[in-house]
Amino acid sequence: MSLKYALFTGCVAKGAGRELLTSTNIVCDKLGIELVEMTDAACCGAGVVSEDNAMIADIVNARTFALAEEAGLDIMNICITCQGVHRKCQVKLARDPKYMARVNEALRETTGHEYKGTVKIKHFGNIMLNDYGLDKLKEAVVKPLDTIKAGAFYGCYAMRPHEYSDLAEPDDPDEMERIIEAVGATPVDYSARLKCCGFPIIMMNKKNSLTLSGNAISSAKDAGSDCVITQCPLCHLNMDAYQPEIDSSLNMPIIHIQQLIGLALGISQDELKMNTHIIRPTGAIAAV
Amino acid sequence: MDSVTFRIFRFDPETEDSPRYQDYEYELEPGVTLLNSLNTIRSKQDATIAYRMSCGSAICGSCAMRANGHAVLACKTQTSELVKDGVIQIDPLGNMKVIHDLVVDLEPFWGSLRKVKPYLQPDTTNNPELEREQTQEQFLLIDDVTTCILCGACFSDCNALEVDENFLGPATLAKAHRFIYDSRDSKTEERLEDISELHGVWDCTHCAECSTRCPTETKPLARIEEIREAAMKAGVHGNNGARHVLGFRETVGKSGRLNENYLPPRSVGFFNIPGLLGLLPVGIRMLMRGKNPPLIHHSIDKVDEVKKIFSRFEEYRK
Amino acid sequence: MYSHDVLIIGSGLAGLRAALELVGHLDVGVMTKVYPSRSHSGAAQGGVAASLGNVDGDSLEAHIYDTVKGADYIGDQDSIEILCADAPRTIVEMEHFGCAFSRTDENKIAQRAFGGHSFKRACYSADRTGHALLHTLFEQSMKRGGELQVYSEWYMLRLIINDGVCKGVVAMNTKTGKLEVFHARAVLFGTGGYGRAFAITSNAYANTGDGIVAAYRAGVPLQDMEFVQFHPTGLYQHGILLSEAARGEGGYLLNGEEERFMKRYAPSKMELGPRDIVSRSEQTEINEGRGAGPNKDYVYLDLRHLGKEKIMERLPQIYHLAKDFIGVDAIKDPVPIQPTAHYSMGGIPTDNDCQVISNETGDHVTGFFAAGECSCVSVHGANRLGTNSLLEALVFGRRAGKKLFEVTPEIGWSKVNEKEELSAVRLEIDRILHTKATENLGEIRTELQNTMTNQVGVYRTGEDMEAANEKIKELQDRFTRVKVENKGKNFNTNLIEALELSHMLEYSELIVAGGLAREESRGAHFRNDFPKRDDDKWMKHTLAFRKEDGGYELKYRPVRVTRYQPEERKY
Repeated sequence: MSLKYALFTGCVAKGAGRELLTSTNIVCDKLGIELVEMTDAACCGAGVVSEDNAMIADIVNARTFALAEEAGLDIMNICITCQGVHRKCQVKLARDPKYMARVNEALRETTGHEYKGTVKIKHFGNIMLNDYGLDKLKEAVVKPLDTIKAGAFYGCYAMRPHEYSDLAEPDDPDEMERIIEAVGATPVDYSARLKCCGFPIIMMNKKNSLTLSGNAISSAKDAGSDCVITQCPLCHLNMDAYQPEIDSSLNMPIIHIQQLIGLALGISQDELKMNTHIIRPTGAIAAV
Repeated sequence: MDSVTFRIFRFDPETEDSPRYQDYEYELEPGVTLLNSLNTIRSKQDATIAYRMSCGSAICGSCAMRANGHAVLACKTQTSELVKDGVIQIDPLGNMKVIHDLVVDLEPFWGSLRKVKPYLQPDTTNNPELEREQTQEQFLLIDDVTTCILCGACFSDCNALEVDENFLGPATLAKAHRFIYDSRDSKTEERLEDISELHGVWDCTHCAECSTRCPTETKPLARIEEIREAAMKAGVHGNNGARHVLGFRETVGKSGRLNENYLPPRSVGFFNIPGLLGLLPVGIRMLMRGKNPPLIHHSIDKVDEVKKIFSRFEEYRK
Repeated sequence: MYSHDVLIIGSGLAGLRAALELVGHLDVGVMTKVYPSRSHSGAAQGGVAASLGNVDGDSLEAHIYDTVKGADYIGDQDSIEILCADAPRTIVEMEHFGCAFSRTDENKIAQRAFGGHSFKRACYSADRTGHALLHTLFEQSMKRGGELQVYSEWYMLRLIINDGVCKGVVAMNTKTGKLEVFHARAVLFGTGGYGRAFAITSNAYANTGDGIVAAYRAGVPLQDMEFVQFHPTGLYQHGILLSEAARGEGGYLLNGEEERFMKRYAPSKMELGPRDIVSRSEQTEINEGRGAGPNKDYVYLDLRHLGKEKIMERLPQIYHLAKDFIGVDAIKDPVPIQPTAHYSMGGIPTDNDCQVISNETGDHVTGFFAAGECSCVSVHGANRLGTNSLLEALVFGRRAGKKLFEVTPEIGWSKVNEKEELSAVRLEIDRILHTKATENLGEIRTELQNTMTNQVGVYRTGEDMEAANEKIKELQDRFTRVKVENKGKNFNTNLIEALELSHMLEYSELIVAGGLAREESRGAHFRNDFPKRDDDKWMKHTLAFRKEDGGYELKYRPVRVTRYQPEERKY
């Protein structure tokens, strides 16, 4: 059975986080997962557009869902914010048929598309776990990362609110840890793994935003992590690109989950564009 | 009946130097609530455990506490749903100082509420003789948020409050919403301006802990989003948060994608020199790694469809 | 020592409304053992009554008559006239304060049917009316910010009355354990009900009759203590109230045979009969073997036929209560319910301006007031109609405020012996903490509650009440040896529970005493051995006085009749 998805890149993976898109493509290619990039899909809104005009945000997202349905594919998200926003919109429309009809009417009038309500929307991590399968992933590992202790950072939208989450136990998840184990690394439990990185307020209150990221990284470090694994490029941005402004002594590499898997599959750091990270891979990671 | 271990946080600052956990073995009866269980433990095993409770029916808000690290209202939570590998850990609410065991100092919580003029400010120049008129639809706009029982669960688990004790916090923002959206209040614009200031509605980081822990229909994050919508519609745009939203509207509406080179200066303000200077370090760092977003911003394919949707902006506004 | 012109104990609707009347004019302090928004007024669900006539042809006269009849003819009719006449103004005032009410299609305050009311006069806010009203007054109190001193989590333990003059209270700051005297020219009690003496009750854990016992110990008689209202729809085993609004919106009561049994007890009103009649009907069904469930010990509240939309719009709280507390989905299944001790008609006797009465001839205690559930004016007589209690608290809270405004300036500052007053409380606490302790606090409490529910409940007999009396005496004795392990000062809930239990043991005795002496059935007080109402002998109020030796003495007071002579009470 070959897996094929409509890849919703999200805006950051095309801009400040291009290494995420690159590593996703390389890793999926290696694993035999076919991706069709949704070059005509628009920004999910990040929960920000909906604070301007909730219905516009829903129409734009319904259009994205419709585009995937028209291509006959389910959606793969590589940004947890996009995933959370998409699921929230999807659930909102499913629960309120009258509203969905209004959204579809507007969508049809302006673009001719219509959202049928059938598409499935999954994050990369979920696809690894459930569609691809961890056993298969383990088989594909050529370089078990057994020297690496990795702290998983879930990102708020992966877990909350519970009704939009794919996790079996949103208040105490282990999905990321299971992936980390599957590639041979040791998952590290630390108190801040379910917390917020603060990215949404980086423009509004930089101090608070970076304190949140700093707390998360310190917590991971104190528990013995060599690196923090993210599934959202916004978490990655805040914790990597801003890390020198938080505390230059932290020196904690922040790694996209695709990159972690890529390393275990034998793909080089260069190919995974880890050289674009602000925080250089140090210690155990550098050796890989 | 299963036996469950209750691991309860104990601390009496009057007599102890530091907190500890005490274990209690408890026979779990079917259908009991967390409050029932604590009362049984207190009555039969250890009468010294301190916690707050009053109505026992989820309306007074006294019994909020943390179970397995997350805030719950004890009287309406089934004990059986909390058991993890035979253990339930009970802690006091977060973001507030511990007074004794599970009792915390609520003064910061009440103090925050008072900051947003949490009372109706009607137009008193024409006080009608009978009730002010309001449609049922208008009542429904504030119906959900008036279910708030001021339990503090949201305040406890709020990520933003953890790093900034001056942040108004979810309950206070929800309370502000209750008056912003009340058709009988006459100070809406003023309220929106006040709430858009530092430590106000734009400082919420969207972590959704508040809505997840809220035991009523209040769901503070939804209220916060609605306040922001109202502020944007009312034109209260003189702050980073609102400009950030405008930046999204402008670039996504034009190109279907966020222009990450445009958004930061748009948010801080194009003429805000200190703000712009503050953006330089991260910009330079990213430039040096080749990580900066490409200077030429490309639109998505079929961007005209998105433009068409956005051209209906005012029509679809709440 | 703290001092205020007026000290209000209790921050529910009555206390807060009085405070708002006075703030800015006199120096007011409000004290509560919880926080204002946690007061039990907030638990009231169904509505607040007023003859606004927004949906039907209601009238003031109809409201008065319904209330007089509902009280089974020992409500004081002049008080009832005041209550009902002030109702429309009160509701409009609350709406002006900002209370969010559900609305009619004409955008006016919506009103619905309620048990015992012959017109639709229950004004409501979904099914959270008490909560909406309480939070409105709490918001108004925050508006007055610095002018109103609120003492939250202070526990009032003693009322100071010397030679017929009230001088203040002694209270404990629960956070520090420190005892303080609060000196005042006038004191108002808005301390609520006393349902916690029963095992199945809708009352908060905090409702332990602290106020009425403090008054009683200070020499004030307590009136009509035997009249305890059992609300028909308490959630099975929890006692949590499922609002009468469920029946107001058309819910059915079914027995184990899925029969609408009310047709046998109140054929014209059916489920909308007054609470005492409905509770007894349920209990009869259970006692006669037609109960539901494996032990046939409850009946059903059935909302299924109302449909999901109506349930979620008009009765959302009930839906969530049934779901969260006993896992029943009210849309699909009928909800198990049983009678629950709900309201205390008895309390501190007052005149129509809330001034406390010290004896059967109606003399006043200078500077002592009471309003709301802890008082007995009496507007509810032997049985309260739903939606009249929220009304009473607001109407009489305001009246108390107005009277206090008038008389307090004329009351001087009488001397208080701070040392003596503190010692009295200190002694009681030390005795509890340091006595030879062998008895388990929880057990004494459970035994009291079971005794009261089983033997002084919906159906009473002389035999049962005699036995209850003996049991209470036994428990009072065991209490002198109660174990209180926590001797600390810092938020000592252990000590507070012990003090609350001492209050419950004291007033429970008076409930039984009044019930034993009253050889008739009237309103909420029903005796199998005296099943008929006896107006010739018993149309009067019971007054229980504390004697020097700790025992009690019962006297009686006439009922004030202005309009309606007693009739047979049929629905």
